[in-house]
This record gives sequence, structure tokens and C-alpha cells, in this order.
Amino acid sequence: MQKKQNTYILMTIPALALFFIFHTYPVLQGIFYSFTDWKGYGEWNFVGLKNYFNVFQDRRALSAYGFTFQFAIVSTILVNIFSLLIAMGLNAKIKFHKTLRAVYFMPNVLGILIVGYIFNFIFAHFIPDIAQSLGINALSKNILGDPDLAWIGIVIMAVWQAVAFNTILYLAGLVTISDDLYEAASIDGAGPWKKFWAITFPLIAPFFTINMVLAMKNFLMVFDHIIALTGGGPGQSTESISLLIYRGGFEGGEFAYQSANAVIYFIVIVIISVVQIRVLQKREVEL
Amino acid sequence: MKKNTKKILTGAFSLAVGATLLTGCGGDAGNEGGNVTLELFSNKSENMETYEGLIAEFEEQNPTIDIELNAPPEAETVLKTRLTKGDMPDLVAIGGNATYGELARAGVFEDFSGSEFLEHIQPAYIEMINQLVGEAKEGTYGVPYASNANTVIYNKDKLEDLGLEVPRTWDEFVNALETAESAGEVPIQFTLKDAWTGMIPWNSVAANIQPENFAAKKSAGEASFQEDYSEVAEKMLTLIKYGHDDNFGVGYGDGNTAFGKGEGVFYFQGNWAIPEIKKANPDINLGVFAMPVTNNPEANKLVSGVDVLLAVNAEADNKEEATKFIAFLLEQENAKQYIDEQAAFSAIHGVLQEDPVMEGIKQNFEEGTITSFPDHYYPAGMQAANLIQAFLIEKNKDEFLTTLDKEWEKVENR
Repeated sequence: MQKKQNTYILMTIPALALFFIFHTYPVLQGIFYSFTDWKGYGEWNFVGLKNYFNVFQDRRALSAYGFTFQFAIVSTILVNIFSLLIAMGLNAKIKFHKTLRAVYFMPNVLGILIVGYIFNFIFAHFIPDIAQSLGINALSKNILGDPDLAWIGIVIMAVWQAVAFNTILYLAGLVTISDDLYEAASIDGAGPWKKFWAITFPLIAPFFTINMVLAMKNFLMVFDHIIALTGGGPGQSTESISLLIYRGGFEGGEFAYQSANAVIYFIVIVIISVVQIRVLQKREVEL
Repeated sequence: MKKNTKKILTGAFSLAVGATLLTGCGGDAGNEGGNVTLELFSNKSENMETYEGLIAEFEEQNPTIDIELNAPPEAETVLKTRLTKGDMPDLVAIGGNATYGELARAGVFEDFSGSEFLEHIQPAYIEMINQLVGEAKEGTYGVPYASNANTVIYNKDKLEDLGLEVPRTWDEFVNALETAESAGEVPIQFTLKDAWTGMIPWNSVAANIQPENFAAKKSAGEASFQEDYSEVAEKMLTLIKYGHDDNFGVGYGDGNTAFGKGEGVFYFQGNWAIPEIKKANPDINLGVFAMPVTNNPEANKLVSGVDVLLAVNAEADNKEEATKFIAFLLEQENAKQYIDEQAAFSAIHGVLQEDPVMEGIKQNFEEGTITSFPDHYYPAGMQAANLIQAFLIEKNKDEFLTTLDKEWEKVENR
């Protein structure tokens, strides 16, 4: 018995050490620097909570929060709708479903910067060229150059890329539902729509919860999509919080200030995730 | 059996630790076997081929020194990130800009004051980079190597077809734009999807209009954007009227190609864009001139800055080799090769740019009617480029100038 425990401890201790060195320690460092005026180099002093007060008065930070939330909410909803639909389709007994699964998983394998390059081309040349030859004025410009529309371009790419992963999770959930239930429902005369709302949806609720929380968290931290497509522009209309922290912190020499922003941001994400889990778990059913 | 498990686990553990340690200190493993590996970090992507050619030659002359060129995208951010990690490259080639000033003030670079290198450099450029560092820290922390010109590039054939001459005053310039537009041409090829490209016209206009030492006065509270930049903002709004349909949807790369293929009469870019435009169309007939911002031809100055300065990490292990490489680059023929391939100007005495394309601004260099980039003195955290991009979209002058003032103060107060 003692031996067995040692084995497990041996497995977890190195992981714990690595986790602490590469994750916890930098976080603590970041929190520490958020109370200073360090630029990332050179000398520094303690400034107390000054950085935190400044974040709340920073219009640019607030608009970054606004953009990020708008983007994250829309993308989370869209990703979950599409991935649930695709998962249900792939779970049905259709031809080539294994090949199709592989095809739908492709976007998740490609790096976002590569995908971004392709989408940049689509938005800058492909769509405007087609729209011009068809005489559709509304689409004949690059939407990434329009401060009101650029975020839609980012949503399209983010959703396209993220659906793959969430589909896999939903597929895993759908497999857990036994066929008996559907048969029993058929005997009772339930149609496909009824079956979905009465059986499928309630039974994959835990997966729905996980997907919502994961998608939301990932989209709140959106960074590489924006670097690849707009670089935060036009103006500052698509500047996400992580981008602002990175840009301001490293480019702008505001390391300590943006560390404070990062701490606030971290707290916000934790709160949102916890609330989401609480609310969504309440409506889960056990069979 | 159980013993074996334990062995495997300990083995795996030590492997994992070993691997992390290895990746942790992979940076300095260059000294083995007498060979020295130097890292040359550059913030430009345009001149990589030129460097590679020069490096190959240098390595041939100095077989014990290997030079690794590293020119990543968003290089200045990468540089600061690496500085935060304490992983500075040995040799840094960056522009004479705000980043240089900040790093030099922080004591990152070796001081070249009194070095014989500086004797070969035109004093104006040395003064320019010293100003960036400011009075708080005396010294010259880099060797100016190449300089650039913030110009208006124009398509010579088109200008001739339109029956126009190179404009010498603001009114003539607007007139030329008007003529081009009514002839159905795209007067100006804007590439404002990349926010930084808006800084080219901005710098030309601001440099000629803003009061002397604007940045110092602004920090002292004696000047403000609202008071001193109104005309600058208005002239920017005039220029944006003469763009194409999708000013904010075209990026720098696409813009170079489009201009090369004959879209646009004027193009606001520095000399560094000329080789890129010629890649799209080697036969294009190009000219450059300094934007005539005022109606007094004598008062219009060309904005020029140090495009490349060579700096050595103050804590580098291989300072001697790094200095050797700088000495090599400074040799007349190598400096000439650099400016010829890059369509740039040399900071070194007696190395002259003879490309006929540059004819239009040669006079500025000869007469010294040159001024430096205003935005190099703005605080970096302000990110003026994005603010200007937003202004050109929304066109709300008062709000924009107020924002500039506020952002400046905000960044300085942090």
C-alpha cells in the first residue's frame, strides 16, 4: 500500500514543481510588479495601488474590455450552436462520418497565424473581388478596414477555428446517450425536435457547461487572431485586453501598469468562469 | 517489477528536469571550439538580404566568428520582451527612435563616446540620436549607420501625362492632387490598414508645422496638441480626401504592389519602400520629393532620421567581435553596398547615394534642409499611430487633439 502511494506521489511531485516554476511563480511575480513602476528594465520604486486606480480611469483599457466582451459573447454563442449542430450530424449514422470528422477537425490543427494569413487574403482580395464583379457595393471593401465591421471578420475566423474542438467535446457527450431512450421516445410518438429538447439537450448538459466555459474563457483571452488580422486596428476598435497588455507592457514600456491590468483581468475571468459554472450546473440533470 | 517502475519514473523525472535546464540556458552556448557566435538583432525586414550578403563576406574574412541574423516581426516589442527576460542580443541594429532612447537611458547599450567610429559619422546624425537619449544621460550609445528619408514617392510617367511638375508648395501639391483626381487617377495610394503608414504623412506635416522642441515643451506644459497641431490635423484631413475607395483596407505590402502596378500618382512612404515597389514592377519610373507642407518653398524641410544604428549590448560576452563587425560594416565599400541595395542614405562621410530616383531630395541632404521625425519624441506608450488612424476614419479634429493631449499626459504620469 505504502509503495503504491509513493508511486503516485512520484508522478505528481515533478508536475507540481514544474507547474509552480512556470506558472505560479510568474503570476506571483506579475502581482508583485503591479505595485511598482517598473518598465521591464532599469530601476523601479513601489507605487502602491496607483496602477490599479489608473486602469479604472483609462478609457483605452475600458474600451478594450468592451470589445473583448462583445467579441467573446458573440463567438461563444455561435461556436456552441455550430459545434452542437455539426456534432449531432456527425453522430448520426451517415456515410463517410469518419472522414467528415477528420475534415471538420482540420481547422484546429492549423496554427492561427497561418489561418489568419489565409483569412486576410480572403477579406482583402477574395470577397471584395467577387463582390465588385457582382456589383455588390456593401462587400466591395475590406471589412477589416472598417472600425464598425472589423470585429465581425475576427469573429468569423475565430468561430471557424474553434468549432472543431468544441464539436469533439459534444461528440463525446452524444456518445454517452443510450439509444434505448430514443427508441422509447419514438414509441411514445416523439418527433426529432421533441427528442432533441427532451432527451439530447438535457443529457449533454455537463458537456454544454464545459463547452460554454471553455469557449468563453478562450475568447476572453483572444490575442493571436487579432495580431494576425487587424493588429488591433483600425484605430483601436479591435484591441483586446491581452493585446493591450502585451502592446502597452512591452512596446510602450508600461510593464508595471499593464501587470496591474493583467491582475484585474485575471480576476474578471475567474469570476466569470465561476459564475458560469454555477449557473449552468444548476440546470444539469442526472439520469 | 516495482523496482523497475521506480527506476523508470526517476529516469523520466531527471530527463524532464534536464530538458528544462537545457532549454533554460541554450542562449550562451557559442564559445566552444574557439568559434564565437554573435547574434545580430535587426528591427527591419527589408534589409535582411543585404545583411546576409555582408555577413557572408565578414565570416569569410573572420572564420572564427559566426553571425546569426535575427529580424523578427514586431521586432521592438520582441527586443523589449527579451530585455525583460535578461536575454539581450550582442549586437542590435535598430532605428534611431523612441525605443533606442529608452533603452539607452536604461543603460542597456555600450557607450561609444570618444570611439574612433564616430569620427567617420556625420555629426548631425550623432546629435540626432543623442537628443533621443536626452540630457539625463550623456553619451552616444550607438553608431548611426544608414539614414532614411520620409518622402512622397511619385510615379514620374503619370505626373508627366497629367502635365504636372513636382509641387514646391502646399497649394501646388493640392492642385496636383485635384488634377490627378479629375483625370480619373487615384491621387494618393494610402495603405492605412497598417496604422504605422499613416505616420509618414503625419511626420512630414507635423515636422514642418509644430513649434521647435515640441516634445520638451509639451512635457513641461508649455505646448499642447490642441494649440499647436490644429493645422497638422487639418492638412491630414485634406490629404485623406484624395485617397482611393478602400484607404483603410489596404496594407503596406498590398500598397507597394498596387503602386508598382500603376495605381496611384503619389505614395507616402520612405525611401525604404522603393526596392519593395520595384519588386512588383522593375521598370517603374519613380521619383521622390519632400512633402511641401507650407507655401514657402525655402522653409519646407525633409524629414530624415537614423534608420539603422548599430549598438552593442553593454553586458555582451563578445564585445570585441561585435566591434569588429561594426568596423567591417563601416568600411566605405560595405557602407556603399548597403545604401545601394537599400536605396538608403549613409551616415558615413563620403558615402553618397547616387541613385537617380533620389535626385529630388539630394538637395535637402546637400543643403542640410533636414529635420527629424516628430513621433520619435512622443512617449511610446501613447501609440500615436493607432490614434491617427482612428482620427482619419472619424475625422473629428477637436476630439482627436484632446485625446492626444490626454494620452500623452496619462502615459507620462504612470
